[in-house]
Formats: sequence, C-alpha cells, structure tokens
Amino acid sequence: MNTTAAALGVHADHVGANEHAHEHHHELPWYRKYLFSTDHKVIAKQFMISSFFFLFVGGMFALFIRWQLAYPGQPIPVIGHILPDTWVTEPGSGVITPEFYAQLLSMHGTVMVFLVIIPFATGMFGNFCIPLMLGTDDMALPRLNMWSFWLLPPGGLIMFAGFFTQTGYAGAGWTSYPPLSALTQFPVFTITGQTLWLIAVFLIGFSSILGAVNYVTTILNKRAKGMGLFDMPLTVWALFITAIMVTLGTPVLASGLAMLFFDNFLHTSFFLPDHLVSATGHGFEVGTGQPILFQHVFWFYSHPAVYIMILPLMGVVSDVLSVFSRKPVYGYKAMVFSLVGIATLGFIVWGHHMFQSGMNPLLGTTFMLSTIVIAVPSSIKTFNWLGTIWRGNIHFSAALLSALSFVSMFIIGGLSGIFMASAPVDIFIHDTYFIVAHIHYVLFGGSLFGIFAGIYYWYPKMFGKMLSETWAKRHVFWSFVFFNGTFFPMHVLGVGGHMRRIYDPNVYDFLKGMQPMNEFITVCAIGLGFTQLILVGNIIYHIKYGKKAPRNPWNANTLEWAAPAHPGHGNFDRDITVYRGPYEYSVPGRELDYWPQWEPGKSISVHHHTVAVD
Amino acid sequence: MPQWIERMLHAAFSSIDMLAWFPENISTYGKELDDLFKIIYWLCVAIFFLTFGLMGLFMIIYRKREGHKAYNYHGNNVVEITWTILPTMLFFGLGLYSDDMWQTTKYSARVPKADVEILCLGKQFGWYFLYPGADGKFGRNAYNDESARELMSLTNPFGRDTTDPNGADDFVTENQFTVPMNADIVVRGSAIDVIHSFFLPHARVKQDVIPGTWMNIWFNLTKTGKYELACAELCGSGHYSMRAVYTILSPADYDKWLDQKNQESLAIRGLLPTAPAAEATSDSTATAEETSETENGEQ
Repeated sequence: MNTTAAALGVHADHVGANEHAHEHHHELPWYRKYLFSTDHKVIAKQFMISSFFFLFVGGMFALFIRWQLAYPGQPIPVIGHILPDTWVTEPGSGVITPEFYAQLLSMHGTVMVFLVIIPFATGMFGNFCIPLMLGTDDMALPRLNMWSFWLLPPGGLIMFAGFFTQTGYAGAGWTSYPPLSALTQFPVFTITGQTLWLIAVFLIGFSSILGAVNYVTTILNKRAKGMGLFDMPLTVWALFITAIMVTLGTPVLASGLAMLFFDNFLHTSFFLPDHLVSATGHGFEVGTGQPILFQHVFWFYSHPAVYIMILPLMGVVSDVLSVFSRKPVYGYKAMVFSLVGIATLGFIVWGHHMFQSGMNPLLGTTFMLSTIVIAVPSSIKTFNWLGTIWRGNIHFSAALLSALSFVSMFIIGGLSGIFMASAPVDIFIHDTYFIVAHIHYVLFGGSLFGIFAGIYYWYPKMFGKMLSETWAKRHVFWSFVFFNGTFFPMHVLGVGGHMRRIYDPNVYDFLKGMQPMNEFITVCAIGLGFTQLILVGNIIYHIKYGKKAPRNPWNANTLEWAAPAHPGHGNFDRDITVYRGPYEYSVPGRELDYWPQWEPGKSISVHHHTVAVD
Repeated sequence: MPQWIERMLHAAFSSIDMLAWFPENISTYGKELDDLFKIIYWLCVAIFFLTFGLMGLFMIIYRKREGHKAYNYHGNNVVEITWTILPTMLFFGLGLYSDDMWQTTKYSARVPKADVEILCLGKQFGWYFLYPGADGKFGRNAYNDESARELMSLTNPFGRDTTDPNGADDFVTENQFTVPMNADIVVRGSAIDVIHSFFLPHARVKQDVIPGTWMNIWFNLTKTGKYELACAELCGSGHYSMRAVYTILSPADYDKWLDQKNQESLAIRGLLPTAPAAEATSDSTATAEETSETENGEQ
C-alpha cells in the first residue's frame, strides 16, 4: 500500500495540474509505448483491437455457415467466386464443400470463445478496470501482463495457419472430441490443422493463466488506501473470482490438450481405444484409451469457461445498472456471494454436457441435480438486478440499454438452460439447434451485450472522448432486434429436431419444412453482422473527432472516474483514499445524487439506507 | 409483397408456438419426455412474463424525471433469502421429478428384457445393423467377446467369428433397419472409427455411440411406418449425410420380413459354403438388400 501511495505521489508531482498526463519520466520508443507496452490501459486496448479483429473474422465464418444453411448449394454472394478452389465444390462455383463447412463451424466456435469473448471479458475489462477501479498505478506484474497479451496473436496466427495445411483447418468442432480429432491418415510428426489448433489453444490458455495470476495478485495487494475487499466494485469482484476460476480450470484444459496433441501428432493412445477401424487412420492395433476421458477433461475447464466468459460482464452490468439508475446495487453482498456460488458450482456441473455421451447414467443424475441448482445463484443475480432498477431514476443511456439487454437475454438463456439441465429432456434437444440457441443467448445476448455496455460506459476514460449516444443507441436497438430474430427461432428448429453442425438439412425428410425458418435466421444474422459496423465506426470516428470527455461524465462513484479524463501511464494525478463503498447514489442529506468513493465525508447506515451526516 | 418476405414473416410468426414443432412422437416413453418439456416450457413462460413484466414496468415508472431522486436502499436479507430458497425448492423438485424418467430411459438396470436385440455400429458415414438371424442368437462377435475385436475390419465391422455356428445365420443391414411395433427393442450400439450419436427424433431416442464401448439403447414403438435415424454428433465432413431409415412393421409383418431375410441368408450360404467367403457375403447381402430397398422406393 505504501509503495502505491509513494508511486502516486511522485507521479502527481510530476504531472501537476495537467489533465492529459501524456508525459512520462522518460520518453519511451514507439514500440514500447504502443506494441510492447506494460501500461495496463494500452494492453487493454490491444486486447480490444485483437478481439474486434477476431470478432469480424468469426462473424464472417458464421455468415458463411448461415448462408449454406439457408441456401444450400447456392454460391456465396459477392466473395464466393474468389474463394480458394479447395473450399468450394468446383473452382469458381462459390458453393462451399462439406469439409470447409466443418472447418468453418469449428473455427467459428473456437475463435469466438477463445479469441473474442474471453479476451474481451477478462483481457480488456480485466486490464482496464482492475488498476483504475482499485485506485492504483498499474498491475502488480506489468511485464507478465504484457506477455499475457503477446501470447494471443501468435496463438491466433498458428490457429489460422491451419487453413494452409494439406487437410485444411481442424474440422472436429470447437470441442475437438477424439477420436475424430486424433485420427489422421498421416504418419507421425505430420502437422495438420488439428495439430495447430491444439498448439494454439494451449498458448491462448497460457495467456489466460498469466493474466489471471496477475489479476489476483493485483486485487489482493494493490487496493487504494482504505479500500477493503467489500469496498470493491462488483466488476472487480467478478474479475477476481473469474481469475481464480481461470487459474484452477485452464491448467486442466492444458493437460487434456497436451494428451490430445500426443495422440494426434505422436500417435499415442490416451483417448483411442484398440482396434479402431477406419480406411486410413492410425490406431488400428494400439490403445487402451477411453474417448470419453477427453470430454471429462475438456468440460472440466470448458464449463467453468462459460462462467469465465460471463461473470466479468455480470460485474460490469451491475455497475452500469447502478450508475444509470442512480441507486445502490441491490444486495451487494448477495451479489458477491452469488458470484462465488456460481464459480463453485460451476466446477461440479461439467457432466451436463455429457448426458448422452455414454458416461454412467448415475453420473447423469448427480450432474442433473448440481446443474439445476446452479440456476439459483443466477436467479439471485437477476432478481438483484431488477431490485437495482426498482425505484431508481433511470437514465436511458446506450450503456444502460445494453446492460438491460444483457439482463433480459440472460434471463432467456438461463431459462432455456433449465430444459437441458433436466437430463431426460436433454435426450431430445441435445446436439440440436436448441443448444445452439441457448449458448448464443448466453454468450452473445449475455456476454457480448455486456461487452457493449462496458465499452459504452468506459469509452470516455479509455480514449478521453465521448461517443455518439445516438449512434450507440441505434446500434444497441438493431443488435437487439436482429439478435432475437437470429437466435430465437433456433429454439424452434431445435424443438423440431434440427441437428447442429449439419451441412445440409434437406438430406432429412423430417427437416424439410424448416427451410423458410433457416432463411429467416440467415437474413437476421446478416443484419446483425452489419449492425456491428455501427459500433466499430462509432469507436474509430470518435477517437479522433469525438467531443472531449470530462473526468467523470456519468457522475459515477468508482475510482476510475477520479483519474484524469485520459489518464497516462501511472493513472492518477492525486492521492487516492477510499472513504466508502462504490454504490452510494442518491444518499439522503446530500445535494448531489452521487457520492464518490474518494470524497471525504461521514455517513451512517440506518435500515439498509445510507444517510450523510455532517 | 415479395414472396421471400412473405415466406419469412410466416416463419417468424410460426416460431411463436414452439410446442407445435415437435416431430410426431412414436415411442412409449416419448410422451412422458414431451410432457416434461411442456411443464418446463410453461414454467419458463411464467418466469419470462414475471421478470420481463417487472423490468418493463420499472423502466416506465422509474424513468428519469426532473426533480426526482432515486431511493437509496441497499437490499434486504429477508427478501434475498426468500428468492434464494424458493428457486432452490422449485429447481431441485424439478430435478428429482426428472430423475425417474432419466432412470427409465438410460439406467442399465431399467433396460427391459429384449423382444428384439440388434447390434448397431456407426461409421464414417453410415450405419451397420446386425441381426441374430433365425436362431435368435448372435455368434461370437466384438459385442459378446472382447477378444473378437481383433477380427474387426472394414469388411467385417462387427468382428464376427465365422467359425461359430450360432453366427452362421446372423445378417447385416446397412443404413436401414426393421423392427416390430409394440415390442421392447434393445440396440447395443458402438462405433468403429469416431464417436457418432444414434438419434431417432420421432422416438425421442438419442445416445452417443463410442468406439470401444457398447451402449444399451432401448425403445418401444407404437406405430408402423418409415422413419429416419440421424447422427447427432459431429463425426467429420460427411456428418450431415449419415442418415438411415428404419421401418416399423406390425408383429406379423415383422415375422414375415425376418423369414424372408433368413431365406435369403440361407440361399447365399448354400451357394457359398466356405468360411471366408461367407463372411464377405454377409456384407454383399447388405448391399444387395439396400439396393433392392432403394429401388422399392422410400418415398
């Protein structure tokens, strides 16, 4: 704590009254400032840029998939004729092959999970918010932080390199279940798309672990003077718990990936049983491996990963709802405990992905009960969010609208989760579009709308400029409309039995009536894709032409708003002491409807109300 | 209005009544599963209207107004505990209620005594089925004898031991199978290369089949007709085309079909008595059978 204060003091002297603290102790070369920077805010922006890039790529893949489902056998418009010959049925035809389709759906899932949502949620918000909201100058381990970003682009590049191997990119789905992901017709030491996928995800996993270690260390050691753990904003709490989950879960994934890598590259048989029969594959004689083992290892990480992808945004949304309702978060401690509850239960529910996998059905019973109980902390959060806006004074900013979209879409995603949590109901809907609808309601309707909320909320602090609220609201509105148009009908396809990951539903008689629905979904998906250009345009345009942001544009309480409008390296130009919790809005006895954490002043608590006293 | 817009509007509106989209149910336990789905559906509809209603109401009543100040209130433990306990009881009850159905469909101890037993193998990209033939007994194969796994090959996927007299009349069908109505069918399912999933949408059956392990899949069908089997687990680029057709016959018709298959099988064995050749023919039977079925038309 002392060192922090000293560092802040030095910095404050140096910068003086200058709002735009761009000066540094000594001028760094450009590559240290913009590429290999150790400044947490620069790293956050790097995560943001890479995530937007991959969001674009992953979104394009999704549109290719959607086109094939809505118009099977018809050429992809505009860019179809320039696709490489190996991706299309005939050179220049523009119709994608089943092989490429399998690669697309695998790549879409992998990119969106590992290179978009996780970097956005933990990389961008973790880096940007934690030091600022704790009132400190930087992360505890800035150089490690730099590495956590710089493992990501190589990971992405290695993954994309798969497209240029003989077999193309890995086509075994983002889950990459063996034997499909382990069997190849090639001799040992042959690099295939799947091999590269394994290396890439391994690297990205390390990026997550490095970041998470740093977050935990920073939160435990570098809080501003006077700030207890229960004075932290929920965003920081959520990132803290997420980071703990990452450090517990990701090494398990890494071990699974390593074993699968050996099976794939060196032809061992961790996951391959004996006497596999395939025209070309290895593993004919070998093996006492068990394919389901990989699923256990994979989901032991990847189910918590679902919460890794959404918990940070739950924190962001809690903050945004509180600020724009001008009200304290309803049940702050209940919110913290429900985060802990979700994180704990999150580690004992992985088997619900495997109800139909052939694991012992007795485990199905246990996992069904644990899964169904995890709905409880989620519903506590939902009720508390509703409690937060109850009797508020709601300012309908773009950030608030995004946050409310998050809450409402999370409700639908949570409710559809109850269906598949019930193991017997899951028999029918497992591996159908119902599941696809569910995951997108949670990860797009939930996480991505939470990310929008966070970007709209912190943009002024990130870039020192204001966004266009009008365009931001248009973006949120059209995203909401197209999102529901895209993903709600998928529930219906699922109820009709439409399997996921199929190249052409028309092969089946019982799916023939669903073509118009698939077409409707695709049209909405294209709209949804183009709507995101508004967000990107809004961000880029206003970095240069935006109105200058004041220090605290939303009249918020948390510490990042005590920093200069566009803070430089070192963040704060004054010494920060924390006097109260982060959510003292509309306190009786005060003129202003907010009461920043860094402002001195006394208050007492009477029957769940805070009252200012002189 | 252009036709495609009309088509899409129709699609959008027809998505409102989700329950109407279930494919016809033809299995005994399918109705129970569908009913459980419906219970959860109506529960969700109720929660949806409750939460969305509150949210909408709050957004209107508590919108920003000049001179208005929000209510500083940090929450209430009694309320928190109430909305913790109520959902816990509700969801836990739902889980317990679901469990019996889960046990019925999946627990090995609850698999009924088989009226008809079939072995099934998934492969990239199709399905094989093995029937025990006239004697109702399987010969030695990879299902009933682990060591027979050594015999498994592309031409003999079930690892059938041709020296076993019990197996002489076993026959294989490819991408189609036939079962009687109102009988407990037990399918022992596995795969030869990668994981597949045995999905009978109309019978509400789904079970992944894994190389190296045999799964017990059972169902009892209440209708005659022709329905589809699909693979529900990504198994490679041809995953989408991994379709099979199954025919449900009345018990009398099923016996007739079985007799006919046995005659065919006898005829082939009479023509080609030597062991390795007999093995090869079991597959050519399948192919011949399939061609004739296809010619008869599945429309």
